[in-house]
Amino acid sequence: MKRNRAGWLFTLPATIHLLIFAVLPVGYTIFLSFYNWNLIRDERRFIGLGNYLRIWQDGGFLKSVLNSAIYTAASVPIGAAVALGVALLVTQKVKGVTAFRTLYFLPSVCSQVAIAMIWIYIFLPKKGMINAVLGMFGAPNGTDFLGTSGWAMAALVFMSIWVALGPRMVLYMAGILNVPGYLYEAAELDGATKNQQFWHVTLPQLAPTTLFVVITSTIGGFQVFTPVYMMTKGGPEGSTDVVGYHIYSAAWERFQVGEAGAMSFVLFLIILSVSIIQFRVIGNKQVDG
Amino acid sequence: MKRIFSWLAMLALAIFLIAPFVWMVLVSLHPAKSPIPDYKDLIPKQPQWGNYKLVLFSPEVPVGRFFLNSIIVAVAVVIGQLFITSLAAYAMARIKFKGAQFLFWLFLASMMFAGVVTQIPVYLFMRSAGLLDSLSALIIPGLSSAYSVFLIRQFLLGLPFELDEAAYIDGASYWVVYSRIMMPLSKPALATVASFTFFSVWTDFFWPLLATNSMRLRTLEVGLSIFKNSYGTTNWPLQMAAAVITLLPMVIVFLFSQRYFTKGIQMSGMK
Amino acid sequence: MAGCGPGPSGGKIVLRIADWGGAGDDSVSAQIERDVYAGFEKLYPNIEIQREGIPGSQDYVKKILLGFISHSEPDVIRLDASSAAVFVDNDILLDLAPLTNGKQGINLSDFFPNTLEVAQRGKSIYAIPVDFTPMVMYYNRRLFDEAHVPYPTENWTWAEFLDRAQKLTKGDRFGYTFTNWMAGWILWIWNNSGDVLDQHGKASSTATSQSTVDAVTFIRDLVNKYKVAPSLSQQAAEGALPFANGDAAMEMSGHWNLTTLTSAPKIHLDDVGVAPIPVSQPGQKPVTVLYESGWAIGKHSQHTDAAWKFIRYFTSAAVQRQLQKTGIGVCARKDIANERAVNDREREFLKIVPSGKNPWGAKVQGYDFVEDEGTKMMDSVLKSGKDPRAALKDFASNVDRELGKQ
Repeated sequence: MKRNRAGWLFTLPATIHLLIFAVLPVGYTIFLSFYNWNLIRDERRFIGLGNYLRIWQDGGFLKSVLNSAIYTAASVPIGAAVALGVALLVTQKVKGVTAFRTLYFLPSVCSQVAIAMIWIYIFLPKKGMINAVLGMFGAPNGTDFLGTSGWAMAALVFMSIWVALGPRMVLYMAGILNVPGYLYEAAELDGATKNQQFWHVTLPQLAPTTLFVVITSTIGGFQVFTPVYMMTKGGPEGSTDVVGYHIYSAAWERFQVGEAGAMSFVLFLIILSVSIIQFRVIGNKQVDG
Repeated sequence: MKRIFSWLAMLALAIFLIAPFVWMVLVSLHPAKSPIPDYKDLIPKQPQWGNYKLVLFSPEVPVGRFFLNSIIVAVAVVIGQLFITSLAAYAMARIKFKGAQFLFWLFLASMMFAGVVTQIPVYLFMRSAGLLDSLSALIIPGLSSAYSVFLIRQFLLGLPFELDEAAYIDGASYWVVYSRIMMPLSKPALATVASFTFFSVWTDFFWPLLATNSMRLRTLEVGLSIFKNSYGTTNWPLQMAAAVITLLPMVIVFLFSQRYFTKGIQMSGMK
Repeated sequence: MAGCGPGPSGGKIVLRIADWGGAGDDSVSAQIERDVYAGFEKLYPNIEIQREGIPGSQDYVKKILLGFISHSEPDVIRLDASSAAVFVDNDILLDLAPLTNGKQGINLSDFFPNTLEVAQRGKSIYAIPVDFTPMVMYYNRRLFDEAHVPYPTENWTWAEFLDRAQKLTKGDRFGYTFTNWMAGWILWIWNNSGDVLDQHGKASSTATSQSTVDAVTFIRDLVNKYKVAPSLSQQAAEGALPFANGDAAMEMSGHWNLTTLTSAPKIHLDDVGVAPIPVSQPGQKPVTVLYESGWAIGKHSQHTDAAWKFIRYFTSAAVQRQLQKTGIGVCARKDIANERAVNDREREFLKIVPSGKNPWGAKVQGYDFVEDEGTKMMDSVLKSGKDPRAALKDFASNVDRELGKQ
């Protein structure tokens, strides 16, 4: 049929691209995960599930998955909550609100390398911006945020919330403006306070937005690389060795692509299952609300 | 009263978001090699504009070349991607062909495993094709994007279907409907995709870091990371000057294109 | 395979030359280097040099290897003794022996033999040495004089070192300064007869030995117990190098340190003294490491002729005479090294040279990984207060597992 032919023809370039750069690579990742393959000597040897066994025994990979889980579990809910709060703020009719929105969006389009350079400085002990402000108020100001294993991850999470505020805020703004006005009128007639209105009208109505924000930031959270590469290189003591950096390091610093392939595939499964769970949990709420 | 409170809250937040940038500019104007200034001395006594000259015209690091590479790659990707993804989006949204639904879900699902999972095979593929360490290596993988297909498709679904039906009755081909009717109407969506793509290509770090090795093929984003360790770990003024140089063009472009961003993000959120 | 990348400009050969310097500043030494490169382009007008600095020694190794994997490594590669093995033993570099023996050759007997050894395998040689340096103890004479402390001596011990460091520490000023950088602190272990690897390239037997544990404990105590050295976060807070800034009286470093010190505003070059590294027991002979660097040619280079011309030019007496003014190292050419040994400090360097050994990385592949792990180990001891023995045990098991894969 002409229609079918046209449909496939129009989608052909994008589909081929998708096959080459997304679909086949996943298959190939599985394939190479069964090999001991060092790229420098470029010899590969079939070892079956050897790589999976190895990354299970090493512990380093599991720790990096845990680190990523911590990073994601902290940055996603806090980031979403902050973005929602800010969105509520900037959807009010206040003078100059558009200028503020633009400002809030700015960090998210900036060069991550430059941002990383700035924040290394901001996190410095004593004279970095955060410690300087703490010092102004007489608080202890000697914390080396990026150099202390208890703090480095928190510092990265803090920065990520700063960076990613803009897009999440805009999503929530759209959601808030889409909530039908009659729902609030009805709630008001029932005598609901502003607070109750937020919990029983706004929040349930925003469930689809929240789902989208949470899923996309979770996928992004598990893949975070640039800030870690630029700021901590996984340190101190591996406390910020997130899975994206761990895989990079295995593949492109130690050139063990087979092992890295196994890690990538496990990561793929993790992202997939977390997304499905999120879809179920938040998706169901949407139905209930 | 409540308005003043909101306004103050927004102002405080703005200060928090902008302070790092201000700090960056101030530090970049301190004399190179000087110890980190106390916050009391943060405003430089004699602004050292020479720091910028030192970074921009460093004989070892061709910043101008980086800039040119970034522009070539970003423009090529934006043009290529707009064309390829709009074709696919049009077919998925407006031609009811067999398999459209399947393709759509395939594209949507692929958004989940971008990046980390596909890096090694893509690298090895580009290596076999002899394309590594060239600007093509940076352009080709960006020529299509499931995300852009998704965005344009959402937009096209919102246009009235009477438009194409009338055209078909007049004997127009799919191509004519695509190029004469749908695309002109999709300008807002295309502008959004263009701005998104431009910024994401411009700020991409991981792939250019991996796929290019020659200094003269570096993009600005990767090239400027060289400055991080260049002057020893302690030469903050020059590092900050390098950061300002990377950020300034983007901030300017953003201020002109920001409305497309907000639109695009809202479109992607509404399923 | 340049794809659609920008090609050579104006029919010239573009010779890509990699080292671990980044963007230069406006210092004298950066300028001298630029002059040397410009001099080559003047001599060979059909060759254009593209310098490719990859700052940070760890990043450098990885990026060059990545370049090799994609068949796009630079034409001329600066080879560091600390990571020579991975390059030399993996067939990544061109064997230069045919070239050195050829008509446009290089006379290898001009160079110190231990600098040649690094990249020699049988009759093959993979790099022509440029310069090298022993690690030495730098001290600031002015600070010693002000505190009425005697200068370090030839065979001084840890006890004498500590005594001096304690007397020199006062207020914001410290007796000594060091970082988590393994290439620096490994000498404390060597001078306590310990080590991080054994002759088979295994860590478990030596890294957890009592002498290694004691050495790591000693340097930890310099910060935590005796407080004669600033902690890592104290150093980060200053944002300036403590020794160069006159905030610390001693530091262990190589000859390259002089390039920093020359342009440092708060220290006079005349005040800078160098001494051997102290030993743990009286009567013990001090040992040090020789960090060497030379030029090699990448296996995939399309411009080996031009690359060889560059190496010949760069290692020639005339260029070395000019270049070593930067103070980056001791020249690997015997003639220039002796010519430059005009002051006490330079003579002291040459005196220390015989006690130097090649670093592990000249023999053991994957030593860059060992150094990464070493940094992590030292971080855990210095920052999180981990017990040195436990930290070294983890270090050893990580190292053995990773090196076992190769």
